[in-house]
Amino acid sequence: MRKKLEINEEAKSNLIRYAAALLAVLLIGAVLIAVQGENPGKAFSEIIKGAFGSKINIGNTLRHTMPCILTAIAAAVAFKSGVNNLGLEGQIYFGALTAAVLGYAFKLPPGVHVIVCLLASGVAGMLYALLPAMLKLVFQVDELISTLMFNFIAVLLTEYITMWWIMGGRGSDGSNAISTPPMAASARLPGLIQGSSASLGVVLAFLVAVLVYLFYRYTVKGYELKQVGENIRFARAYGIPVARTFLGIFLMSGFISGLCGGIEMSGSYGSFTAKFITNMGWDGILIAYIAKQNPIAIVVVSFLWGALRAGSLQMERMTSLNKLTVNIIQMLFVLFAAIDYKALLDHMRQKHIRSREAG
Amino acid sequence: MAETDYVLELKNIRKTFGALVANDDINLRVRRGSVHAIIGENGAGKSTLMNMITDIYEPDGGEILLNGEKVRFKDPMDATRHGIGMVYQEFMVFGDLPVLDNIMMGFEEKRWGIFLNRKKARMRIEEICRDYHFQLPLDARADTLPVAVLQQVEIVKVLYRGADILILDEPTSVLTPQGIQGLFEAIRFLKAIGKTILIITHKLREVFEVADEITVLKNGKVTGHVLPDEVTEEQLANLMVGREVILQAHKIKSEIKSPVLELQDLSVKENGVQRLKNLNLKVRSGEIVGIAGIAGSGQQQLAGAVVGLTRVEKESRIRIGEIEVQDKSVRERKKMGVGYIPQDRMGEGVNKAGSVWESAVMGYQTVHGYRRKYLLDRKQAEDFTNRIIREYSVKTKGIHEKVINLSGGNIQKLVVGREISLCDKLLVIEDPTRGIDVGAIEFIWEKILRIAAAGTAILLISHELNEVMQLSDRIFVMYNGTLEYAGTHGELKEEEIGLLMTRGGDADEKKA
Repeated sequence: MRKKLEINEEAKSNLIRYAAALLAVLLIGAVLIAVQGENPGKAFSEIIKGAFGSKINIGNTLRHTMPCILTAIAAAVAFKSGVNNLGLEGQIYFGALTAAVLGYAFKLPPGVHVIVCLLASGVAGMLYALLPAMLKLVFQVDELISTLMFNFIAVLLTEYITMWWIMGGRGSDGSNAISTPPMAASARLPGLIQGSSASLGVVLAFLVAVLVYLFYRYTVKGYELKQVGENIRFARAYGIPVARTFLGIFLMSGFISGLCGGIEMSGSYGSFTAKFITNMGWDGILIAYIAKQNPIAIVVVSFLWGALRAGSLQMERMTSLNKLTVNIIQMLFVLFAAIDYKALLDHMRQKHIRSREAG
Repeated sequence: MAETDYVLELKNIRKTFGALVANDDINLRVRRGSVHAIIGENGAGKSTLMNMITDIYEPDGGEILLNGEKVRFKDPMDATRHGIGMVYQEFMVFGDLPVLDNIMMGFEEKRWGIFLNRKKARMRIEEICRDYHFQLPLDARADTLPVAVLQQVEIVKVLYRGADILILDEPTSVLTPQGIQGLFEAIRFLKAIGKTILIITHKLREVFEVADEITVLKNGKVTGHVLPDEVTEEQLANLMVGREVILQAHKIKSEIKSPVLELQDLSVKENGVQRLKNLNLKVRSGEIVGIAGIAGSGQQQLAGAVVGLTRVEKESRIRIGEIEVQDKSVRERKKMGVGYIPQDRMGEGVNKAGSVWESAVMGYQTVHGYRRKYLLDRKQAEDFTNRIIREYSVKTKGIHEKVINLSGGNIQKLVVGREISLCDKLLVIEDPTRGIDVGAIEFIWEKILRIAAAGTAILLISHELNEVMQLSDRIFVMYNGTLEYAGTHGELKEEEIGLLMTRGGDADEKKA
């Protein structure tokens, strides 16, 4: 009974946060749109139409929800235990390239092929996360910096590999033609909704979120990881091997990021193109942050994120507005959702009391 | 004039942190041009008091008079501008900057208001060094210098900032005997020149050597204001650590059997500082061995070494039962039945951000294991938590309440309950009753005595001398990383042990 009450308490404060942020963002967004000479009401309705207007639109929303869930879960797993893995983007790139290469270079039976591609993409992301993890453990290099740097390396190195190893340098003439040959059909994930770009990937992402949730809730390891994140001295004093935990976390986070890249390939793109995404990893970090690393909240926020993404494309088609407007709105949402409204309220109340006492 | 006689006066100063009264109605008058020692045990409120003079804390009540005028500083910089300089126990130096930069930091000489004027700063600092007989290598990087020199850097720094009153916080704790003599010479010289010095310490011998007046603090109150030639060391020790016995533990006769913990040549070095020096100690089954001592004498390292958190030197041997464990991890030792009740219960004993059950079952996975190895059995965890809550009467709304909402005493009961329930071989206990109410103290004492009687070996480290004396079968005093035997239960009087704690007996001198 009591437990239920407390969960409600937390959910309530989260809901207040989201609602307040949404309200603030709608207001600012409306001004932003009006300034550009468009009707805010129309723009918003186009966004909603684009996100949920038809089966295909819902499919598109789901398609954009997938990477949000996975990257946010990857980030949350790391942050929960106090590991600052900002290298999601780089891990996605290597996961994607690996899946794409295995997808076109090998012939395997249908079901097996996809699974091999996806597992390999996870392993690739994991290995790419191993580098900064080892740097941290052996040389005490702060992972905040190293993972950040490894992102740039990954983006450029995958481009180099694609251009010179896979294409043999032929891509140097074209601008956006730096890409691998298409993956075999047997390496592709089946679609989820006919006509949309949603694939089975979103289901996989959802499964990963649920698994992570169950892991933290029901396993001894999950319990230990939580303690490491919340009080590392407590964990160390009672025998949780902190260094090994750190490595495990890093690898898990890398695996999920890499898997995200793999699903992008098998589910949507079908071949690896240099610089195929921007900011996917960062979106995940922001979502994990807004959702306070709670897997369930991550799924909810990711869906919102995906909807905004899909909706913004529609808005761009139907109005003179640029989808960057939506990007700005998204970022503002992060800012407003970061405010602890309850603490703010308490603070103001206290200030009020104090000023009354003084006066 | 009477009012300029005293350069600094504190009147009825009071400071509380939550329920803890750190300073209670403190009155203090510091004569101009004197060396005034403030002594007291750790936690007596010395540092809190000094931090109010330098304005890191704001007092809840009372006033501070500087040169007879009431002052209230805006910030620590403001206190500095009023001529109060503090040399902290932990030096505030930037290791990779030269001495010169360290000294001028924050109070730089400037050219045209924006550019550094190193030359002018250097001239002023050299002048100070000449006037006060310091010899400092101004261009050496700070981290290449020994601590005694760094301390001089700190003193020159406060002089450079124009300090008239110098506060030295435990200045001798990092120094060698020679370094201490050097410091005392400097102090005497500063005094001769007219500066006022406040020295915070718990080492009585030094107080007699250098102080003109002594103020004793205990439990946040002034318990004595004396002149060094008026009192003996014993009397001073008594003012400082002696306390009325309110609580009486009822020791249970237990059968003391074979050694459970054996330390042989245990040495610990941290950042080049020798914290423990060749300790030898046995704790036997059914026995409580109490370690008394002033905080920072190496107690933390001793506890850390036994439970596996502190790295020990090569020659050290730690045996639990018959097995050498100095290379074994915390987890492996835990499996062998080693329990640990840390001093910092909030920071180390529990996860205050988590729920009660999460902190209650820590270690359960290692010691007992859950029904299914990798799955945390909620039912099992809840049963175990409820058992602790029941048997140790932890007052909580339920196992899902956040630990941070519990009172200190209840958190401690939770930690004690958990460790006693999980570990039956050896229990390392640090300050089990610090800052908790009398009822909880009695309760925890009784539990400790009872498990000892049941055969657990207990290493009790406490800064409450009374606690050590009440509970222990054998008592040792830790002083500067060494142990000195202080008799069996009731053999030595409180004052005698108190003297060992503050002076370290004569053992130290023989070595030096």
